[in-house]
Amino acid sequence: MLKPEQMSRLLIVASKDQMAPVVTELYRHNLFHIEDYVEAGAEGYDGFKIGTPLSGATEASGDLVKIRAIQNAFSISSEDFEVKQRHKQSGLQVLIERELPAIEQEVEGLTVKRSKLETKEKEYEQNISEISPFIGIPGDLDLYRGYSTLVVFAGYVEKEVSLSVPHETFFTKGKGKNFIVVIAPVGHRNEVEGALQGAGYQAVTIPDESGVPQERISFYSSQITLIKKEIEEINQKLDSIKEKHASFLVACEEILKVQVEQTEAPLRFATTNETFVAEGWVPSMNVVSITQALEKATRGKIFVTELAIGEHDIVPVEYNNPSFARPSQLLVDTYSRPKYTELDPTIMVSIVFPIFFGLILGDVGYGVLLLALCFGLRKFVKGEEGQQLIAVLRNASISSIFFGVLYSEFLGFPCPWPYLLPSRHLNIGGEGGHGPNIPGLMMVAVWIGIVHITLGRVLGMVNHAQQDRGAHRTKAVLANAGWICVMWGILIVIWSMVPMPYMPDFTTMPKVLMSVNIAAIVGAVMLVVGVIFIGRDSGLELVELPTIISHVLSYARIVAVGLSSVAIAMVVNFIAIGMLISPQLENITIIGVLFIIMGIAVFLIGHALNMALGILGGGLHSIRLHYVEFFTKFYKGGGKKYSPFGLNRRFTED
Amino acid sequence: MAAEVVAAVITDVELMKASQIGMKAIAAAIAVGATGIAAAIAEMAIGSAAVGATAENKDVFGLVLLLTVIPETIVIFGLVVALLLIF
Repeated sequence: MLKPEQMSRLLIVASKDQMAPVVTELYRHNLFHIEDYVEAGAEGYDGFKIGTPLSGATEASGDLVKIRAIQNAFSISSEDFEVKQRHKQSGLQVLIERELPAIEQEVEGLTVKRSKLETKEKEYEQNISEISPFIGIPGDLDLYRGYSTLVVFAGYVEKEVSLSVPHETFFTKGKGKNFIVVIAPVGHRNEVEGALQGAGYQAVTIPDESGVPQERISFYSSQITLIKKEIEEINQKLDSIKEKHASFLVACEEILKVQVEQTEAPLRFATTNETFVAEGWVPSMNVVSITQALEKATRGKIFVTELAIGEHDIVPVEYNNPSFARPSQLLVDTYSRPKYTELDPTIMVSIVFPIFFGLILGDVGYGVLLLALCFGLRKFVKGEEGQQLIAVLRNASISSIFFGVLYSEFLGFPCPWPYLLPSRHLNIGGEGGHGPNIPGLMMVAVWIGIVHITLGRVLGMVNHAQQDRGAHRTKAVLANAGWICVMWGILIVIWSMVPMPYMPDFTTMPKVLMSVNIAAIVGAVMLVVGVIFIGRDSGLELVELPTIISHVLSYARIVAVGLSSVAIAMVVNFIAIGMLISPQLENITIIGVLFIIMGIAVFLIGHALNMALGILGGGLHSIRLHYVEFFTKFYKGGGKKYSPFGLNRRFTED
Repeated sequence: MAAEVVAAVITDVELMKASQIGMKAIAAAIAVGATGIAAAIAEMAIGSAAVGATAENKDVFGLVLLLTVIPETIVIFGLVVALLLIF
């Protein structure tokens, strides 16, 4: 909690003949985050070279490329593929050698044939479009070419052309474009051309065909129908192959991926002629087990040791959170993964995010609908991130129901019990009672902001105490304390001057000077001390002082966005029920029934829209309050993701 | 006579109060509306640049989101002013 998984730096040295068993063992454990060796003259690595792949790497990559090509042709993605059965690795190995080439040949044959047919189809379509202008003109298509003394013009013109030279013209009127064919002696080419240009002439290609245009077109059309049928047959064949082999293909891909990753692992190691060195990171609690496993696999012919973690080492980061907080890792990762030395805010996000969401979309009806939506979507959404998002939404919707009960709201209607938080019921259509308790809501929001920001600053103090060294450490910690002092100082000064609901009232404290009382002086002192602390760390930071007010007030968005969603819900209810449905219920007529149906439609569409807006608004604004107002106080991020060497197999097993 | 004058004064006072409420409502609407437009204009430029930056490098998403929402503070101030005016 609050800290990422503790990591240890491991150095593995062995002779090269132990490379294969070591790689297999590391891969099986799926724990070793390899630190890639780069030939950059690192200290202690003189004379080392990057390793060469193990035997079988080329074949495996070749097969993998083939499989992926087939998967592409079938548009199968192993990520979205549902696991039906797990194949045995040994059996699969034989099948890859025996069946893969046959499948590949069949699929390739079919896809090549299909693309040839598709090309042909395009060609025929092109022919049809070339011939179609000539339909309206009598005569065979071969009459348009093959003359030595005559020249033929064919194309579109804007208006009819009259020529003064001997010629023969065919003209057909069309929509917007008129088609013209002019045949004239070669000697008069220029005159004809000039006259045609004047009429906005656009030439068309004379098709290389013979016969009556209409007949040619019907011939090509029938050919296209035949080709389409053939393509359809090929697609059906491909589908049946896909049906038969899909599960085999994804399993093969997995096995080959494992093989390729294993055989290419030495490319990440440092090697000499006889030995190899692998450096990497392992969660500290697994160091013993992995060392023992390696020693067992190589019968003791290996040297494994734990290295000290240097100050400049970039340690890969793996979250270490209780299961309820894990989905929120998605939200933290979207911002940035924490650094190894930094506090991991996931657990706080996992608690506070649903609370903010609930405060914004606090409505029993929407909460229940959203919860149902989450359970419905859980089956359809694939991939780890999608599932995490659903889990985050699920928690948010439960919180929404909880706060809905406190606000006493159900789809914008008041519930039979009284509200326990300040009211958000607006006075729409004259049915809101007193209207919303805006000052109360605002004060609740401001209090949330004050607490959240103070927490952020406290965490900032912890972070600086852990990460910084020397004089800067004290200054940075004090600066964070200074920010807290300034914020609370301002608050105390305000409280000493104006009484406010839900806030302490210091206006009655004994006066010291004129109208200034003790509380105001304490507040002012805190403010000044805070400013001095901040200034000591960095003078530039003082420019940021106004953000204290803007960040606290920014939590007012919880009220604003929440009220807007209540307002939309109430307006929808008023239009649907108050204006359309209930007046008709008193005296039911045929037109009245239409109105009632319209009212129901307005009700459904309005609430669906408002719920979508509520999810967007509630989710985005809650997460923004974390990213902008909370994280900026203590959290930098930029850690490296822990990606261990290995694979969680889904389709195969040993 | 005196009663009529008193009645007239009372209606005048009521009228003034009503018009004050109306003015407050208009002022509140301007506070929220104008700041909303201002924030939208500011976010327009930042947002398009942010999307471009994210397309180039996904890791900057958190940072650019932060930069994109900075102008939103203006609306919050507008909202607070509006709420103070009305309540």
